[in-house]
Amino acid sequence: MTEPRVTTMARDLAIDLGTANTLVYMKGRGIVLNEPTVIALNRQTGEVLATGREAWQMIGRTPGYIVAVRPLRGGAITDFEITERMIRLLLQRVGVSRFTRPKVVICVPSAITEVERRAVTDAARRAGAADANLIEQPMAAAIGADLPIDEPVGNMVIDIGGGTTETAVISLGGIVALEAVRVGSFDIDSAIQSHIRREHGIAIGDQTAEKIKLAIGSADLTEDEVPAEVRGRDLTSGLPKTVELTPEEIRTAIEDPVSSIITSVTRCLSKAPPELSQDFLVRGMYLVGGGGLLRGLASRIERETQVPVRMSKVPLEAVVLGAGHVIEHYDDLKGMFMGARR
Amino acid sequence: MASWLIVPVIAGTLVIVIGLNMRRRRDTVASFQRQIDALSPEARRGVTERIRELDPGRDESDGNGDDRTESDDNGA
Repeated sequence: MTEPRVTTMARDLAIDLGTANTLVYMKGRGIVLNEPTVIALNRQTGEVLATGREAWQMIGRTPGYIVAVRPLRGGAITDFEITERMIRLLLQRVGVSRFTRPKVVICVPSAITEVERRAVTDAARRAGAADANLIEQPMAAAIGADLPIDEPVGNMVIDIGGGTTETAVISLGGIVALEAVRVGSFDIDSAIQSHIRREHGIAIGDQTAEKIKLAIGSADLTEDEVPAEVRGRDLTSGLPKTVELTPEEIRTAIEDPVSSIITSVTRCLSKAPPELSQDFLVRGMYLVGGGGLLRGLASRIERETQVPVRMSKVPLEAVVLGAGHVIEHYDDLKGMFMGARR
Repeated sequence: MASWLIVPVIAGTLVIVIGLNMRRRRDTVASFQRQIDALSPEARRGVTERIRELDPGRDESDGNGDDRTESDDNGA
């Protein structure tokens, strides 16, 4: 199976290696790749059959000899070897070879362990990067949301991804307070799947759960709510069955992960120094990440924290744009890398 | 070694060490300033342009805060 290549000499790269999606920014060119973080393997031989969108389409639809996996779960690497192969394929797709050895900056969750850090940087180097460094996702998100983090003012960013939610207060180019929780939009999808299994006795796949979330899921009461029908496999008979779902029941079903997210935001608020708190109590907190697009979530966070919430205009791309900015100003911003001596 | 050399050698070493320390301090100050400058609105112009490319409807940066939630419209 072949996939389209970015046929150009690879320049320095920034990678947002997310639980849900992987985006690659090339210096001077912008975002050159935006694909689901999924890899499809031959179960018997271990060969890679597809990555990205092609592999994502296979989820839940594979024959016995193919397995489509997400190598990252909850922001953590569940399989180092597969992650390394995926990074290598990713870099090859954007033109990295033994003749082009770009510098690579990879965005990772702040709560990443030392072992995972080494695994990611080693994987990038083995894949052909001349140098690989890591930057915390909230920092990259704040830059990508175009926040004035160069100033001595409090900037607060909430990054709700597929597997993690990270809330950070940033000032003068550094993280002042940070709260991370391994709950994201995939947990919301799982909650919908569990609810439907428990209450309606049917099994649905990940992608169907996501469609339900997008159609009628919400964190808060919204206008013009209408029910939706979903078709799945009856757990008792094994036959297809259609059930009607109401927005209220889905809201209740996803309350646990939504509450966890809001609680972590509140905890970060409580950690912020008073002087900086004054700044974002007026300027607001900025929401990035696909998880932040859940209907009613921004207004609910605002209601429960009493702090204005603003949505980034490019919530899905903010992290990689921020990392891209770091790549464009590599020498001046290398002090921001994880593990850099400051 | 001639004893008269000891004092100049020690003095010279001290001057070099102090000079290097002062240079390192200036370097860290300059390095921090370069980092801050690289995060300034002027330096972030590239980010603003990329945002504009991805979302042509906007005409101001996110940092200026035009993106209120729907609760504003409801007057909440």
